[in-house]
Amino acid sequence: MEAPDEELMLAYGQGDAGAFETLYKRHRGPLYRFMVRALKHRSAAEELFQEVWIRVIESRSRYAPQARFTTWLYTIAHNLLVDHWRKKGLSLASLDAEDVAVESANPARRAEGREALARLLQAIEALPPAQREAFLLHEESGLTVAEIAAATGTNEEAAKSRLRYAMAKLKAVVDE
Amino acid sequence: MSDEQKISQRYRELSREEPPPRLDDAILAASRRAVQTRPAPLVVPSGRLRWYFPLAAAAVIVLAVAVTIHVERQRSDLEVAEAPASPPPPAREAQDNLYVPDPKPAPAPAPARPPASDAGELGAKRDAERLADLQKSQQAPAAPPAAPPPAASAPAPAQDAVSGMRESRRADEAAPQARMEARSAMRQQATIGAASAFAAASPEQWLQGIDDLKRQGRHDEAERELAEFRKRYPDYRIPEAILEKFEKR
Repeated sequence: MEAPDEELMLAYGQGDAGAFETLYKRHRGPLYRFMVRALKHRSAAEELFQEVWIRVIESRSRYAPQARFTTWLYTIAHNLLVDHWRKKGLSLASLDAEDVAVESANPARRAEGREALARLLQAIEALPPAQREAFLLHEESGLTVAEIAAATGTNEEAAKSRLRYAMAKLKAVVDE
Repeated sequence: MSDEQKISQRYRELSREEPPPRLDDAILAASRRAVQTRPAPLVVPSGRLRWYFPLAAAAVIVLAVAVTIHVERQRSDLEVAEAPASPPPPAREAQDNLYVPDPKPAPAPAPARPPASDAGELGAKRDAERLADLQKSQQAPAAPPAAPPPAASAPAPAQDAVSGMRESRRADEAAPQARMEARSAMRQQATIGAASAFAAASPEQWLQGIDDLKRQGRHDEAERELAEFRKRYPDYRIPEAILEKFEKR
């Protein structure tokens, strides 16, 4: 049976580098995709992805499992995203409200090769940041509504509503 | 199949991107470095290394006894020289606290007391200071100084300047090891102080301090503190009211 994330993180805090490696392998893919899809620019996404793990490393001795490790990890990711958006001049209020303009000639979508999937990816990119984040947290990390609320520092109602709006917009694209 | 499941299924058909190997390598290397810098766990040596502890303990005891004997001898010598001395006037005492003159007798003004007694007093004072410093420097590595609270941090540079002057005055007298320890303790204190004035406070107090800086128009300092706060508490939920102030700049 695999050791739970929280146990691995505590072991890393005690100096077990192998525990971190296992933890990293478990979460690297979902967190990377979360960052790449939450942000427009891959270089920024990679920088934040790395920064999340650096913060995890730096917090190893202070870590206390109060929630699931995944929730804690994505809370750090969310905080870094908010800082990134803030530096880009995006206000917290606008994270919820504005759809994002997306260019249709995105090479990543062309590489996808399939029109329906390309449209879905484009629709995800066009979601307001807060809705996009809620959707990605749900899909990539498997967080529940309550956990999304905890990770993004909002209440369950708001998290639920963001996820519902995101799903409704994406459904329209999938049904096309 | 529900709409949600349908969307999830479609989403999973998208490419499963993974971080590039160079990122993996950098992160894993950082994680290993971080735990390698930790102090080694205290384990009882066995086999060929069994003699390490007794030898180290014996060396420490010999050193401690030698230092004690040396200090005691110096003190008794100085007490003999000091015997005829009269107590110094209070003004002179205050001056001596800031500046320790050379043991050579001053040639210019006519001294109120004989030079021999003056030298004895100064020697005793220096000796007392040296002892105090030795004690301080021995305590320094055992208990590194905590970051000072904001109110207490202001006079620290002045005190450091004074003790720095004293340090350089006594450079030829103090043991090199004790001097190095004292300097490293001072550097450590300065580093902690420079990292953040609020680092010793609770997260709430720290945020309050950041908010105050913002209100005082010290935007750059507030930004620096916020970045430092994020490093210390990466998962802390900063109230939106504070974050909004950073947006409005």
